[in-house]
Amino acid sequence: MSGYLRSQRQTAWFVSVFALWLLLTAAATAAPKNYELTATSVADGVWVVAGSTANFSKANGGNILNTGFIETSEGVVVIDTGPSRLYGEAFRTLIESRTDKPIIKVLITHHHPDHAFGSQAFAPDTLYMLEESAQLLERDGEAFSENMYRLIGDWMRGTEVIVPSQRVQPGTLQVGKRTLRLIAMRGHTGADLVVLDEISGVLFASDMVFFNRALTTPQTPGLMEWQSEMQQLAELPFSVVVPGHGPVVRDNRAFLQMNDYLIWLDGVMASSAARGLSAAEVIGTAIPDRFESVEGASYELIRSVSHLYSEYESRALTSN
Amino acid sequence: MTKYGLCALLLIAEAAWAGLPVDPLGSPLWEYNIERYLGEGVEVVVDNRVGLSVPGFAEDSTQVPLAVNLSEFPHEVAKVVTWVDMNPVPLLFNADSSDGGLSLISLNFRVQQASSVRAAVLDEQGVWHIDSGFVEAAGGGCTAPREVISSSDWENEFGTLKTGLYSSDGNTRIKASLLHPMDSGMVGNVPAFYVGKVEVRQKGSKALLLSMTLAESAAENPMFVFEFEGEKGGASEDLSIWMKDNNGYRFEGAIGGTTR
Repeated sequence: MSGYLRSQRQTAWFVSVFALWLLLTAAATAAPKNYELTATSVADGVWVVAGSTANFSKANGGNILNTGFIETSEGVVVIDTGPSRLYGEAFRTLIESRTDKPIIKVLITHHHPDHAFGSQAFAPDTLYMLEESAQLLERDGEAFSENMYRLIGDWMRGTEVIVPSQRVQPGTLQVGKRTLRLIAMRGHTGADLVVLDEISGVLFASDMVFFNRALTTPQTPGLMEWQSEMQQLAELPFSVVVPGHGPVVRDNRAFLQMNDYLIWLDGVMASSAARGLSAAEVIGTAIPDRFESVEGASYELIRSVSHLYSEYESRALTSN
Repeated sequence: MTKYGLCALLLIAEAAWAGLPVDPLGSPLWEYNIERYLGEGVEVVVDNRVGLSVPGFAEDSTQVPLAVNLSEFPHEVAKVVTWVDMNPVPLLFNADSSDGGLSLISLNFRVQQASSVRAAVLDEQGVWHIDSGFVEAAGGGCTAPREVISSSDWENEFGTLKTGLYSSDGNTRIKASLLHPMDSGMVGNVPAFYVGKVEVRQKGSKALLLSMTLAESAAENPMFVFEFEGEKGGASEDLSIWMKDNNGYRFEGAIGGTTR
């Protein structure tokens, strides 16, 4: 075969492969993103929309958290809005398919993007947050947004940071015939809202509780402060615990695991600092077997060491 | 022979001529940075007993942990050089420990984009042993404004030195933290302002346990960890750390906290 013919054939082959590649990428980018949310009733009039326990990825679009909604005689109370505008819209459609009541209050438990970035889908005057959370969202929102575009890509299309204009105060919130107990805690971000529906006993623990998913620490004021609040949560009259991340439980397993994990994590950092270990050594710490069911523990340990270890180190050193 | 075949042959020939092993991570900067930081025509082997550890991703691009744990390294340690291939100025530090018996060295670095990271150790035969790691990163660590400027009283805290002395399996471990902006000179209108020289000294001995030069990849508020073989110094005051920045400020303290 002459060189000319061979090169022509090769060219034709390259062109067809390139065309196929173009088609495939076009199909991939053009495919409409769809969160496929489902609502599970955990008590009469109370639903949970459960996400996975994975990390943010372009495959899951950040659907890694639990949101929920509560139907009352007056209207619907929504807990968190999800990681993106698209999620928020799918979530609102889902709520409207379950109840004819209007959405009257959307309680955003804290300022993290996976919980607060679906807010565009809801009427602005229904969005509520703790004052400190709103300040944190104002401060960190744009940086979170940039990071989310990097992590989940096209799922973020059209998402903008909305800081709720309305505020919630700790205490009881009467909505129709339901009494919601609103509790302000600090452990996860410094401003974390926990919601207990007193009639059903469903506790929306937000990210104060992770279950079978390693907790995240970028804004915690301290692991032991978080751990002490775990005791307060465990004493509430709950029947169902909805963690911010991880499966819904009807007993205190999630609290026990959180308590154990927080004490372990604090202990790893304190004892490592006392031995003079460097951060690069601490990130390789073995995860105990009893946390085998806790997804992402090794990964989150690397993050937590980055967030917290320098404080432990500093405390363990002597001033010259 | 095709054009590509010829190119590949040339590349192989060039690598063979340089005497360099193949980069386990396939970075285009492998040869360039080896020549730049270790010298031309040096003898290099790939050796994971150098014990470089870095995380697989940078949670904070301005503070990425790095340690070189030489406990499995079978030769004497004359020098340790570390660099971050894709940084604007890749070099992190250059440490000389001919007389110290260095068994671990650790310092955080900045990362500008996802990059291979290298630790090269010179043995007593004049051979460089290189271990590599790779860090995924959102990046921007080298050109991010410093953290410390956001704290109002940074000028009061500037230069604060804290130290610790530890015994670990018969070895002597030293930790020292210095509050210093370590400005790399790569942020607009902020001139370079960083600690360039670090020495670990032992009372009554002219020889230094360690002498180290730092470069632009070093992170703000450096936290140094060094481990040396055997028991060094009797009382804690016997060991001290000394540093000097490019503006002439000197920072010095006994290891373990006694104020000098």
